Amino acid sequence: MKNLNLILAGVFFTVAAPFGGLLLGGHAQLGALGRAPAEEGGPLLPALEPGLAIQGRQVYLQLGCVACHTQQVRPAGQGSDIAQGWGARPSVARDYVLQPQVALGNRRVGPDLANYGARAKSDAEIAAHLSAPAAGSAMPAYAFLFSPAKDGSLQPNERGAALIAYLKSLRQDYSSPEAKLKQ
Amino acid sequence: MSQENPNSRPQGQGRPQGRPAETGAPRISRVDASVASPVKFFFASALLWLLVSSVLAVITAVKLHLPGFLNGCEFVTFGRLDAIQRNVFFYGWASNALIGLNLWLLASLGRFEFRNAWIATLGGLIWNLALTIGVAFVLLDSQNAFELLELPRGVAPAFFVAFLLAALWPAVAFARRPTSHVFVSQWYILGASFVLPVVYLLAQLMVLWCPTNGVLQALVHSWFLQNFLFLWLGASALAAVYYFLPKELGTTLTGYYLSTVGFWTLFLFAGWTGPATLLGSPLPLWIQSTGVVAAVMLLIPLTITSINFFGTLSRDSGWSRAWNNTTLRFVAFGLVAYTLATVLQIVFSARSLNAIVRFTAFTAGQQQLLTYAFVSMVIFGAAYFILPRLTGAFWPSAKLVHLHFWSCAVAVVGSVAGSLVFGWSQGAALAAAKPFADTAHPQAALLSSACAVLFLIGHVAFAVNAFGMLTSCSSSTDEGRQA
Ligand code: HEC
Repeated sequence: MKNLNLILAGVFFTVAAPFGGLLLGGHAQLGALGRAPAEEGGPLLPALEPGLAIQGRQVYLQLGCVACHTQQVRPAGQGSDIAQGWGARPSVARDYVLQPQVALGNRRVGPDLANYGARAKSDAEIAAHLSAPAAGSAMPAYAFLFSPAKDGSLQPNERGAALIAYLKSLRQDYSSPEAKLKQ
Repeated sequence: MSQENPNSRPQGQGRPQGRPAETGAPRISRVDASVASPVKFFFASALLWLLVSSVLAVITAVKLHLPGFLNGCEFVTFGRLDAIQRNVFFYGWASNALIGLNLWLLASLGRFEFRNAWIATLGGLIWNLALTIGVAFVLLDSQNAFELLELPRGVAPAFFVAFLLAALWPAVAFARRPTSHVFVSQWYILGASFVLPVVYLLAQLMVLWCPTNGVLQALVHSWFLQNFLFLWLGASALAAVYYFLPKELGTTLTGYYLSTVGFWTLFLFAGWTGPATLLGSPLPLWIQSTGVVAAVMLLIPLTITSINFFGTLSRDSGWSRAWNNTTLRFVAFGLVAYTLATVLQIVFSARSLNAIVRFTAFTAGQQQLLTYAFVSMVIFGAAYFILPRLTGAFWPSAKLVHLHFWSCAVAVVGSVAGSLVFGWSQGAALAAAKPFADTAHPQAALLSSACAVLFLIGHVAFAVNAFGMLTSCSSSTDEGRQA
C-alpha cells in the first residue's frame, strides 16, 4: 500500500493528540495535587484513612460494589446529587488524592456513597444491611462477610470489618479550597 | 484509491449466501485457504466466549430483580459476574471475532496468500489463554474499578503481545505489499489495529501499573474506553461494512470519495470524546468541555458514513435487496444502530441532557446500541458470508439463521429501548428531586432478563449452525442454501 506510512503517521497523530492534550494536560494540572487545609493553619484534608479502611477499599473493589455504586457528587447545576442528600458540596479532584485506586463509578443502581461515612449510623446497622439488605432492595446480601456470634449479633470477619471501616471513612463533608461548605 | 469493486474479485470464491451456486458447495479459494485456520480459530473462540457471556448475562440480569438468585457464595456475587460478563463479551467475543474478520478482509482485499498464518494463530492462543486466566482471577479475587480494565494487570502484557501478533503484524504485512488498489476498509483496519494496542498499553500503565493521581485515573480510563468502543470495535466493524455493502449489492458506494475524510475525522475526534462521558465529575471543566466539543464533531464522520451507506442503500431498491440477503440484513440493521448510537452520543453530550441520564441505565443502553446492535450484528452478518468460504460448506440450517436474526434483533431492540426509556424516566424523576429509592423501575430488570434469555436463544442457534459447519465440511442440505 503506497500510503502506508502516511496512514500510520496520521493515525499516530490522532492517538498522540488527545493523549497529549487531555491526559498530559490533565496531568500537568492535577498530577501533583496534594492535600490542603480548608483555611490557614487548619489540618490537611482529606484526612488520612485508617489502615483498616485502606484494606476495606480492596474488599470494595474485589466484590465489585462499583457495578452499582458511584462515589462522586455532581455540582448543583449538573444533576440532583446534592438535593438527594448525597453530599453538601460537589466532589473535587482534591478529595481523591489519597486513593491509590479511585472508584468513581458510572452506574447508580444504588445510592452514591461518596459521603456514606457522614450519614452512616452504627457498625451494627451497616453490618445488618450488608449481610441482609431489606426485602425489595436490588442489592445482594454479602452474608459471607459475617458470622452470627453466640448472642445472636452479627460478627464481621476480617474482610467484613475492613469493608465497614472503609464505608465509614467515605466522607467529603469538609471545606476544600476548591469547594467551600456553606456555613 | 479505488472502489471496492465487486467485479474485481477472482471468480470461484463462492457465492453470496443469498444466491448460492447452482451446483456443489462453495469452493475454497487459495487466498481464503491461506487464512482459514487462524480465522476459523478466532471465530470459534469468539463463539464459545459469546455463549459464556450470554449465560452470564442471563444470570446478572435475573440477579438485578432477584438478588438472592445464585447468591450462595462469593464467586457468584453480582459485582464479579457483571465484570466477567463484560470482559468476556468485549475481549472474548467482539475482539476475537474482529481480529478474525479483519484478517480475512485484509487477505481478501489484498488477494494476498498469507504465508505465516501460524503467527496469527499463535497470537490467538495467547489472547484466549490470557483471557481465561484473567477471568479466573476476577472470579477468585482481584478486580478494580474500571470497566474493561478489571482483569489483573498481569494479563495486559500477554494481551498486548497477542494483539501485535494476531492483528497489527498482519495488518502491516498486508499493507506493505505493493498493490495498485487501496481500499478504505484497509485504512480502517490498519487504524483500528494500531490504536488498540497503543491505547490499551498506555491505559494499563497509567491506571494499573503506575497509577496517576486520583481522578486522573478516571480520565485515562474514559479515554481508553472511548477509543476501544469507537476506534477498535467501531472502526473494525465499519471496515466490514465498507466491504460487504458494495460487494453484496453489486454496486459502488455513493460518495465513495468522501470516505477517507470520514476515516480521518472519525480518528481525529473520537479519541477526544472520553471526558464527554464524565460530565459533572471532579475533573477540570476545560477537560469536560473539550470532550463535548469532540463529541459534537463526530457529526462529520457520521454524515459521511451516512451518505456512503444510506445513499447506497436507498438506490436501486437497495434496502429490500439488503433485507433479502442474510449478510446485508445484519449489516443494514447494524448501520441503523451505528447512526442512532452516534447521534445519541452527540446529543447526550449536551450538559443539561447528560445531567439527566448520567449514571442511569440510559448509558448502558447507548453502549449496547453501539457494541451489540451495530458491532455484533455486523460480525454476525460477516460470519454468514465468510464461514462458508472457509469451510467449503453451506450453513446447515436456514431456520436457525432466521431464529438467530429474529431473536437477537428483537432482544437488542427491546433491551436498548428499555434501557433508554427506563433510564431516561429514572433520570427525570431524580432531576425532579424524587427520593432515589422511588425512582427505580422494577419492570426494567424484568425486561432485561427476558431480553437476555432471547439473546441466549439467538446465540445458541447461531452457535449450533456455525459449529455444525465448522466441524463438518460436507456440503449442505437444500434448505441451507436458501438461507
Ligand atoms: C446489584 C447492585 C448492588 C451491588 C452489587 C451493591 N449494592 Fe449496595 N445498594 C444497592 C441498592 C439498590 C441500594 C439501595 C437499597 C438498599 O439500601 O438496600 C444499596 C444500598 C447500599 C448502601 C446504603 C446506602 C445508603 O445511602 O443508605 C450501602 C452502604 C451499600 N449499598 C454498600 C454496598 C457495598 C459495600 C457493596 C459491595 C460489597 C454493594 N453495596 C454492592 C445495590 C447494590
